[in-house]
Amino acid sequence: MAVQALNMWKDWRLHVLVFAIVIVTEFIGIHEIQVGPGVILLLPMLYAVIIGIGLFFTPLVKEKQSINAEPLVFISVTLLIAKFGVQAGPALPQLIEAGWALVFQEIGNLGTIFLALPVAVYLGLKRESIGMTHSIGREPNLALITDKYGLSSPEGRGVMAIYIFGTVFGSIFMGLASGFLATITPIHPYAFAMATGIGSGSMTAASLGPLVAAFPDKAETITAFSGASNLLTSVTGLYASILIGLPVTEKLYQVMTRKKDQDSEKSSRVVS
Amino acid sequence: MLKSVKEWVLLFIIIGFMVLIGNWIGYSVMPFDALPGIITLTLISLAGLIIHQLVPYKKIPSIAYIGILAFILTIPGVPGSEQIVAWTTDVNLLAIATPILAYAGISIGRSWDLFTKLGWKTIIVGMCVLLGSYLGSAVVADIILRMQGII
Repeated sequence: MAVQALNMWKDWRLHVLVFAIVIVTEFIGIHEIQVGPGVILLLPMLYAVIIGIGLFFTPLVKEKQSINAEPLVFISVTLLIAKFGVQAGPALPQLIEAGWALVFQEIGNLGTIFLALPVAVYLGLKRESIGMTHSIGREPNLALITDKYGLSSPEGRGVMAIYIFGTVFGSIFMGLASGFLATITPIHPYAFAMATGIGSGSMTAASLGPLVAAFPDKAETITAFSGASNLLTSVTGLYASILIGLPVTEKLYQVMTRKKDQDSEKSSRVVS
Repeated sequence: MLKSVKEWVLLFIIIGFMVLIGNWIGYSVMPFDALPGIITLTLISLAGLIIHQLVPYKKIPSIAYIGILAFILTIPGVPGSEQIVAWTTDVNLLAIATPILAYAGISIGRSWDLFTKLGWKTIIVGMCVLLGSYLGSAVVADIILRMQGII
């Protein structure tokens, strides 16, 4: 994504609002909610995204601020990526040691297909489910599905729905889920750190934050692993979708619908 | 190009200032202590954005240049790496994340109407999509890290 729009720095209304959000949320600070054996971490960034959405519906935020905010997410994410990088350099020996795990966890991103596609088919969704579940449906995947099926196709509607879902709810959901999962499952925080590279800057930040806050003594290695995984996903993610994710989803969808309903399988063949 | 660079510099000054203050309130690091760190991160980001503009091959995202550059600069043994690490340690990761998600929230508001029209099936599938990717990666990473005896 290139930032072409100019003079965004002059949007003082936007920057003052964000600055106010930062001050308020950092003063509120980190809070923990004990849920059974697990902990949900409430971080300033989580309040920030919710307050941000809320402010959109007040007269303080006009359409222009909301439009300008989008490239600013990208610009500020670059600082996070740089922070990832400077944590990763000193951890080079650990990264080399954990190299295989880093490479293979990329394949784990396909877990979305095996978890979400059966659910989508069970709920009665047709070919929409291919667009919905072949990946986490961020910008590159939106482009891929549009290119292959067109945005008005069932697959296109599916990926668009998940794109909107992820845009609005993704960072909030990951922020709540990541710390909770890390505290209730036996999976090691380092493994979760590697999982945070899911192809979206704000979702990575939201899922990494609770890990760093919950395991402060491991924070540096967690950040390094997260950064390396994020980098790998940003470079390889789209190709993994093209070469593995989408074909596997198509195949699995056909297998599942053949069992479930002969008719819909025939009609889907016409589309593909 | 020059206009873009000027724009980026001004935006980084604004965002950097917010990070310094957030870092102070939330994580008790005095702004002057974290200043060299935030300047370093900004320069790395800026360099990555500029490289992305200069390279005609656009398939590599600018964040890849930024990540790799920051990584190389801090590999032990690279001149100045220790200084960069020492400076940037004072900039808390969470302090960077807060303004990102504040901007994201304001930007997200515009998609809210679309979001409310999605229907419950999409919400359920959407949560499975995110969980599947996250847990899938975590499980694979966990198995391999254990096999290698790293954890």
